[in-house]
Amino acid sequence: MWHKISWRLLKHELRRGELTIMAAAVALAVCAVLSLSVFSERLQLGLLDRSAEFLAADRVLRSRGAEIPTEWLERAEQDDVAWARRTTFNSMAFANGELTLVEVKAVSSGYPLRGHLEIAQAPYVDGERTDMLPAPGEAWVQGSLFNTLALDIGESIEIGDAEFTVTQILAHQPDAGFSVFTDSPTVLIYIDELDRTGLIQPGSRVNYNYLFAGDPGNIQRFENWLMPQLDDVTQRWTSIQDGDSPLSSALNRAERFMLLASLLGVVLAATAVAVAAQRYAQRNFDAVAIMKTLGGRTGQIGRIFTLHLLLLTGVSILLGLLLGTALQWSVTGWVSAQLGYVLPEGGTGPYVLAIATGLLCAIMFSLYPLLRLLKIPPLRVLRRDMLASGLAKWVHWVIAGGTVYTLMVLYSGSFILSSALFAGGIFAMFLLLGISRLFIRASRQAGMQAGSSWRLAMAGLQRRAAENSMQMLSFSVAVMLFLLVLALRHELLEDWQNQLPDDAPNYFVVNVAPHQVEPMQSMFERQHIRATDLYPIVPGRLVAINGDLVRDAVTKEERDESEFREGFGRELQLTWRRDLPAENTLLRGEWFREGEPGVSVESQVAERINIGLGDELTFRVAADEFTVPVTNIREVDWNTMQPNFYMVFSPDLLEDMPATYIASFYLPPERRAELYSLFRDFPQASLIDVEDILTQIRDVIGHVSLAITFVMILVILAGALVLVAQVQASLEERQQELVILRTLGARSKLLSRAVTYEFVVLGALAGLIATLAMELSIYLLQTQVFNMQPALHLRFWILGPGLGALVVAVLGWAVCWRMLRQRTGHLIRNLA
Amino acid sequence: MALIQVQSVSRNVVTTQGELQILQPMDFTIDAGEAVAVVGASGSGKSTLLSLMAGLDLPSSGHITIDNVNLSELDEEQRAILRGQKIGFIFQSFLLIQSLTALENVMLPAELAGSKHPEQQARELLKKVGLEERLTHYPNQLSGGEQQRVAIARAFIGRPQILFADEPTGNLDSKTGERIEALLFELNREFGTTLVMVTHDNSLAERCDRILHLDGGVLTEQRNVA
Repeated sequence: MWHKISWRLLKHELRRGELTIMAAAVALAVCAVLSLSVFSERLQLGLLDRSAEFLAADRVLRSRGAEIPTEWLERAEQDDVAWARRTTFNSMAFANGELTLVEVKAVSSGYPLRGHLEIAQAPYVDGERTDMLPAPGEAWVQGSLFNTLALDIGESIEIGDAEFTVTQILAHQPDAGFSVFTDSPTVLIYIDELDRTGLIQPGSRVNYNYLFAGDPGNIQRFENWLMPQLDDVTQRWTSIQDGDSPLSSALNRAERFMLLASLLGVVLAATAVAVAAQRYAQRNFDAVAIMKTLGGRTGQIGRIFTLHLLLLTGVSILLGLLLGTALQWSVTGWVSAQLGYVLPEGGTGPYVLAIATGLLCAIMFSLYPLLRLLKIPPLRVLRRDMLASGLAKWVHWVIAGGTVYTLMVLYSGSFILSSALFAGGIFAMFLLLGISRLFIRASRQAGMQAGSSWRLAMAGLQRRAAENSMQMLSFSVAVMLFLLVLALRHELLEDWQNQLPDDAPNYFVVNVAPHQVEPMQSMFERQHIRATDLYPIVPGRLVAINGDLVRDAVTKEERDESEFREGFGRELQLTWRRDLPAENTLLRGEWFREGEPGVSVESQVAERINIGLGDELTFRVAADEFTVPVTNIREVDWNTMQPNFYMVFSPDLLEDMPATYIASFYLPPERRAELYSLFRDFPQASLIDVEDILTQIRDVIGHVSLAITFVMILVILAGALVLVAQVQASLEERQQELVILRTLGARSKLLSRAVTYEFVVLGALAGLIATLAMELSIYLLQTQVFNMQPALHLRFWILGPGLGALVVAVLGWAVCWRMLRQRTGHLIRNLA
Repeated sequence: MALIQVQSVSRNVVTTQGELQILQPMDFTIDAGEAVAVVGASGSGKSTLLSLMAGLDLPSSGHITIDNVNLSELDEEQRAILRGQKIGFIFQSFLLIQSLTALENVMLPAELAGSKHPEQQARELLKKVGLEERLTHYPNQLSGGEQQRVAIARAFIGRPQILFADEPTGNLDSKTGERIEALLFELNREFGTTLVMVTHDNSLAERCDRILHLDGGVLTEQRNVA
């Protein structure tokens, strides 16, 4: 029988709009989680898809020195994953009596699996897209070889024992990469031609790369199978997000941005559910008391309201799913139009997450109100002010706080991010309690004198201190989250954009000979080209840390993983400098002192191979070995287009070693045609065009900006819901007093002004507290999550309180005005 | 035979100024089928006495039995079951559930008690109180008098042995009040219910068999109505 009562209550209450706020809150939470996670998943997939072009594949398996078993490739085919081979090594190339070091890149058909090649008939001009590869006997070469080897189209180039005809200039290769130091100009040939060169011998330094691409699910399945088979020393499995290129760094940051923004939306939606659940329980106090009086048992009433809540949650979740699906359809449609390509489809994960969020929110936030509801004594039918007793409030806080935190961790999978936000929230709460206490003390003087709206307002605030602090809390949370999203969009995103100004370096020049350093610097000056310093480069290897050999330094025969320390596994580009490079931050230790040799280590590398200040590192450069202490640890911003180094030495150590130089510079796209003539005097130098990577990073930022705009809309909706629910609840509490004052002859104007002023003060205070809490959260985010310089956001100190006061007051005034429009008699009857 | 026995019952409440005795120890009995009015000024303890007799609250000392069951020996759940089986209520402020229709409000106690065909019974009762046209109306669509008639129908659906009425006409104008009074007594007679009514309307009290007079929490007078 009880389920009929539940159903009946639900049906009528839904129809009469009494459950609108609760239903809307749950639906909004579900809709927010669904649309946000689908949207960011699709956006992320879109980004990765487009960024995958820079890898020429979705994943690359890099194998040093040896090919991989053919079964692995067969397995890829079974998993419906496409593959292609790319074998690279350095060799000397001869043409026209000149010789130079080139990177030979031999590829199989299918290459590139992502992105495309562009070819041209002259160096440094825009190329044309092609799906072809060089035919047997042909080679496609990069334009800079035309400088060094005085080549021309149709001429021959010798590599090893083989001779190739240069038929095309490689204007663009998707996987040109960003390892600026090792890049010699590329010579692209077909893979079957490798044997003819006779260059691949046992022991030669050859990189066998295997490119893979396919549906994310298939790739994942293949990856799960493959990972256990890899030997971590010579084989590396990479995606575009791995590594320390500016693009991977940007992609990872984008992921954190989107996650954070969505998380804020989810938390705010959860807050709306919490507020609504409280209201839901309050509305039913009388019904429970009446049922108990009429013979209803607590268990029976418990079942009635639990089912009622579950039904309501079910209906709301369904509504949320529908809304969320519709929303993300239209939004991704719009975004696809903005981005100029169709976002890839996501999985079903977000639907599960959304339903789980709806259930978790509704049940956990309603638990305490529901328990309280069931404890309502039947005597309330005679004494209307009676409430539940014997339930400690802290239980509620623990449940609610625990739920919000769990939700954050579940959603973000990041403890740091969740904790930073959660800490901000807790701080806001304590601050709020402190401020409201102070406020009560300060306003104790204000009396309850009808006649002055301000006095009435202050007296109202003082009397309802306890309830007000609750309302203020939800106002603050709403305003804070809104400000956070706003700050995220304007401050953090702008900081990021500022790192890549329009004139960020778009070319690197490498292999500059020492005697050409000065002529090149003066050329840059003469031509008004903004360039970085020219950094010397000496290739070397890290061989030992504190006397312990690193894995990389031992030969294959000796290799036994357990015995050696983790090293780099490859040659390093070492540089030396008198002062700290621009855009680097000294984290620990001191910069070099004159006459004291030392090395400065990049912080992530220091962490990865576990080295700290004072450790003695042994390097091998050419035939020499030398040992230096680590004098400092440096942070490098990999997002900048500067030459960045893992190891920077004090000048005295490397100065006499043979070095080449590197710099990056900005050349406006319209001056691209000048490149050939600008660098004609520097035939050994190679140019690397990073314009594509820059464009892609700006594209990433664009995606993030769109995502945050979307989150902002949802946050505004959720925030409005919280505010409306709270203002309505608080005006219901005020109703009795309003009716009495009204009956005593107070004019509507006076009353609505008093209420408005009260809300102005409440809103402004909430805004102030929200701003403080937001600053704290932003500080934590900037320092802990985004590795940015913390800064104060002064305009928010005006915006926060102003916005809080305005919105809360307008809402308060509107609800109050509606109430005061009713006749006093009607109001009195409502109170009965 | 005594259906309700009140023995040495008192009620204290703790306030910020210390303990306050709102009902002094009192003894009386109410027989089955009797109609008893509890009268007194505001704050004299009438409603407190009613809440104790109905098992909504417990006395600080003494005990109350209903049909030989000591209410103090029952827990909250058992008292709820007892109320569902033997007691009906009518309140000054009607106390209908706002989101249920008139018909559903009347059905509610029968449904909570698990009785069969509650709808049929509810329809009949609403017809008896003259609201057969108003079955699907919500409380806020009904006038005060109509709401109280729904409350009366609801009170009788479980065929209670005892009906507690707290100022049943207090919120109504005199004309409507008179109609409600008439209806209440008529149904009371028809169902043979014991009526305990709190009122400060003397004319209403005079229609009962006996009047208990409370003054400052003290039972000062018991008078049979001639």
